[in-house]
Amino acid sequence: MRAFLLACLAILVIGVGGYFFLGSMQESSGAAFATDGARINPDWAWRSVSTQAGAGETPQGECDTRKAWQWIFVDFARPEGESALCSISQ
Amino acid sequence: MAVCTRVRLVLIAVALLVFAAAAAPVAAQQPSSVDPNAAAVQEQQLLEQLNRIQGLGTIPDTKSYVIEQPMGRVWRGFHEVWLPWIGGIAVLGMLAVLIIFYLWRGMVRIESGRSGINIVRFSAFERFVHWMTATCFIILALSGLNITFGKHVLLPLIGPSAFSSWSLAAKYAHSLLSFAFTLGVVLIFLMWLSGNILNRVDIQWLKRGGGMVGHDHPPAYRFNAGQKMIYWIVVLGGAAVAVTGYLLMFPFYGTNIADMQIAQGVHGVVAVLFIAVMLAHIYIGTIGMEGAFEAMGEGTVDLNWAKEHHSLWVEQEQARTGAATMQGQRSAMPAE
Repeated sequence: MRAFLLACLAILVIGVGGYFFLGSMQESSGAAFATDGARINPDWAWRSVSTQAGAGETPQGECDTRKAWQWIFVDFARPEGESALCSISQ
Repeated sequence: MAVCTRVRLVLIAVALLVFAAAAAPVAAQQPSSVDPNAAAVQEQQLLEQLNRIQGLGTIPDTKSYVIEQPMGRVWRGFHEVWLPWIGGIAVLGMLAVLIIFYLWRGMVRIESGRSGINIVRFSAFERFVHWMTATCFIILALSGLNITFGKHVLLPLIGPSAFSSWSLAAKYAHSLLSFAFTLGVVLIFLMWLSGNILNRVDIQWLKRGGGMVGHDHPPAYRFNAGQKMIYWIVVLGGAAVAVTGYLLMFPFYGTNIADMQIAQGVHGVVAVLFIAVMLAHIYIGTIGMEGAFEAMGEGTVDLNWAKEHHSLWVEQEQARTGAATMQGQRSAMPAE
C-alpha cells in the first residue's frame, strides 16, 4: 500500500513537472503557425493580378502610395488617372 | 560523283542519329499523361499522378502550401472506422475470453494450501515502479479509449457539456502522465531484464500450457514464460506508444503530416493491443490466481504458492538465503 501511495505521489510530481516542461516547449497553434511569421511580399499584390499592365514596362508619371487600409482590404481599384503599371510594383 | 553521293548520305544518316539522340532525353522529361499546368487538368488526374496537390505561398510556414493530401482521407478512414473495430475486437474479445476462461477454470488455487510461510517476491522499489507504471497505464488507457470510443459510447450517455469537460481533462492527463509512464517502462526494462531472458525452461513451460489447464505445475525461475511475454510486451509496446506519442505531442519536430498520421496509426493499434494484453495480466494477477496479488500488494508470497509456480526460483532463494531464513518469516514479513 505504501509503495502504491508513493507511486501516486511520484506521478503527481512528475506530472506537475511535465506541465511546466510542456508549457515551455509548446506554443498554441495560433502563435506557432499563424500570423507571427507572416509577411507580405512587396513584389506581388492582388492588384497586379487583376490589372492587365504590361510586364517589364515602367510606369509613366507618379504612382500613389497605397494606404494601410487598401492593403488590409485587398483593394483592387486603381486611383483615377493612375497608370496601370503602378499596380505591378505594389 | 558516286563518292560524293555516298558521303552526303552518310552525313545525313549521322545527322539524323544525332538529332534522334538529342531528342530522346527531351521526350523522356515530358510528363507521361498529365500536365499540371494545363488549364483543363482534372483534380482527380492530378491526385492519381501525385501524392498531394501543393501550391505556392509567401507565408514562412510551408505546410500551409499543401492544398490536398489524399492520404489524409485514408488516415481519417483508419481512425474513424478501422481503429474502433480493431480496438473493439481486441478489448471486448479479450474480456469475453477471460470471462469464459474464468467460468470454465475458476481461480487457480494453491493446491497444497497455504503454508503460512512468506518469502519476499518483490522489493519495495520494484513494487513502487510497478504501481507507478500501472496507475499511469490505466489512466492513459481510459483517456486514450475515450479518444476512439468516447463520442460513440460516452457522449450519448452524459451529453456534450460533460463529455467536453471530461475529454479536456482526459487529454491533459494523457499528456502529463506519459512522462511517469515512460520512466516506469525504462525502469522496468532495466530492473527485470536479467530475469526475462528466454531459456529452455520456458519452452517446457509453454509446452505444458503454464499449468493453466488441469493441475500441472511446470517449473519456472523467478519469471515464467508467460510473465516474460508480458515483460517484453510492456517494454516493446511501451516504447512504441511512448515514441509515437511524443511525436504527436511535439508536432512537426522532425515530422510532417504524413509521418504523424503513421505515428497515430501505430500508436492507436499498439495501444489497443497493449490494453487487451494488460487485461489478461490484471486477470491472472487478481481473480485468476490465488496468492498472486500479494506479490505486488505486500511484496511477499506464500512458500507453497512459490513452490507450485516458481519452483526453480524457490530453490535458488533457498540456496542463497537458507531455508532457515524462510522459516523465520512465518509471521507476516515486513513488506516495505
